[in-house]
Amino acid sequence: MTALQAFWGYYVRWSAKWPGAAALLSFLPLILLWAFIVWLEIFPRVFLPGPLEVLGKAWELLYKGILLDYLGDSVVRLSVGAAAGMALAIPLGILIGLNKRAYEVSWPVLLFFQAIGDIAWLPILLIWFGFGLTTMTFVIVYTVLFPVVLNTVLGIRSVKPELVRAAQSLGASRPRILFEVILPGALPNIITGLRNGLGYGWRALIAAEIIVGTSGIGFLMFDARRAGSVEEIVVGMIVLGLLWYIVDSWILAPVERATGQRWGLVTS
Amino acid sequence: MKSVVLEQLSKTYFDPYRGSQVTAVRDLSLTIDEGDFVAVVGPSGCGKTTVLNMIAGFVPKTSGRILLSGTEVKGPGPDRGVVFQSFALFPWKTVRQNVAFGPKMRGVGKAERNRIADEYLAMAGLSHAADRYPSELSGGMQQRVGVVRALANNPDVLLMDEPFASVDAQTRMTLQEELTRIWEERRPTVVFITHDVAEAVFLANKVVVLAQGRLLAEVEVPLERPRSWDRLVQDETFKELSNRVLQLVRSA
Ligand SMILES: Nc1ncnc2c1ncn2[C@@H]1O[C@H](COP(=O)(O)OP(=O)(O)OP(=O)(O)O)[C@@H](O)[C@H]1O
Ligand SMILES: [Mg+2]
Repeated sequence: MTALQAFWGYYVRWSAKWPGAAALLSFLPLILLWAFIVWLEIFPRVFLPGPLEVLGKAWELLYKGILLDYLGDSVVRLSVGAAAGMALAIPLGILIGLNKRAYEVSWPVLLFFQAIGDIAWLPILLIWFGFGLTTMTFVIVYTVLFPVVLNTVLGIRSVKPELVRAAQSLGASRPRILFEVILPGALPNIITGLRNGLGYGWRALIAAEIIVGTSGIGFLMFDARRAGSVEEIVVGMIVLGLLWYIVDSWILAPVERATGQRWGLVTS
Repeated sequence: MKSVVLEQLSKTYFDPYRGSQVTAVRDLSLTIDEGDFVAVVGPSGCGKTTVLNMIAGFVPKTSGRILLSGTEVKGPGPDRGVVFQSFALFPWKTVRQNVAFGPKMRGVGKAERNRIADEYLAMAGLSHAADRYPSELSGGMQQRVGVVRALANNPDVLLMDEPFASVDAQTRMTLQEELTRIWEERRPTVVFITHDVAEAVFLANKVVVLAQGRLLAEVEVPLERPRSWDRLVQDETFKELSNRVLQLVRSA
């Protein structure tokens, strides 16, 4: 009993210290199941490689430098597109959120264009811009733009009018109200928008790379298909999930915790 | 300090969904002297909040005039501090930052405004909570922060909308006594809205009874100060005045 408790205490402290490692542990059953299915040999090995083969492939790609190069390409594309998307979306969202008339006019349009999801644009973009960076950037900017605009607008409109009144009667000017009250009040929503936008953007990027890419993780996976290397495809898939986990839990979630949850605006 | 004069003040809300109009305040004339303490009572929906919001400049009036020491009210301003029923504290600011907000907007430097905030927080017995966020405070504590935030900005007129409605009876009594003490010290002009007749009589120099947007009666409260609950619960004049106001409210 005490040994078990000691072990449990040790585990709790350890997982608090290394949350990333603790999260990896939750994948252990999944990996074991995967290995088990492979071991049963229901599917031929070329169709369904085991964890070790995939790991070996990952190491090989890493060693050759391809994996990091492609990963870098994808991440840079996403960052540039997302940064441009946010730079457009946040001011736009603020303007629409602050102005009732602008909100009434633009909301249906925003919803309309949001519904035409990222890759639905690819056919026409390919005709306009061809197979290249412009097309990819457009898709990412587009995908990031709408969730961020919509959530920013929502956030700004959900700031309690009373808080604005309180600030007014404490002598705050309009610009001060914007920066001291409206933006902080909208921040949890804006962060949610960024989180969704980046998530959608990441998926859209992979889709775009598969279709128009000459490098990147999406391209790696599609290229592997041509060579018939299922291992490489699986490596690509795992990298996608892993990278998103890192971005979400190491960057986005802490920001969320430090703002909305700390202020009691969203329940943790 | 400033006087507040309402002349034939009216407010009609238009409901675009029903296409109907609601007159919340009609032809209300009232004079509140500089440094006076007036409580406004009346049944729910009689227009108390609407009057307060018009004085604060949050809601445009339909007709009539609102004069602050002779100058017409155009919009909200720091000369009128407002204490909201729902506290309206900034959730992303600590208690100290909330209280220092008014001075900050006036351009007071950081060290000085923090000193002001700490002084007021000490007065309200909230020094230990200065670095906490509002969501980490009890309702009564939040309410005190709301009052202190308005006070720290040194307003000429203090507008309070049922500020003690959401705290427990004991805390409420303490807050009421603290408020009368602060008022005696500073003498801001106070307009205090409440449902609670005893609270109105305890706090005010004059109780105004509203009914369906109209002025029903003004009752002077000649009780001596400082006032304390210990003494007033048995006071005959207090009981008699409370009864009179209660009858008026019930007849409304
Ligand atoms: N924004 C609004 N739009 C339309 N009607 C309103 C609005 N605000 C208040 N009213 C109406 O005006 C009347 C007076 O409302 P008000 O809030 O001033 O009452 P009150 O005396 O403060 O009531 P309570 O004691 O319940 O707070 C009510 O009939 C209410 O329905
Ligand atoms: Mg009210």
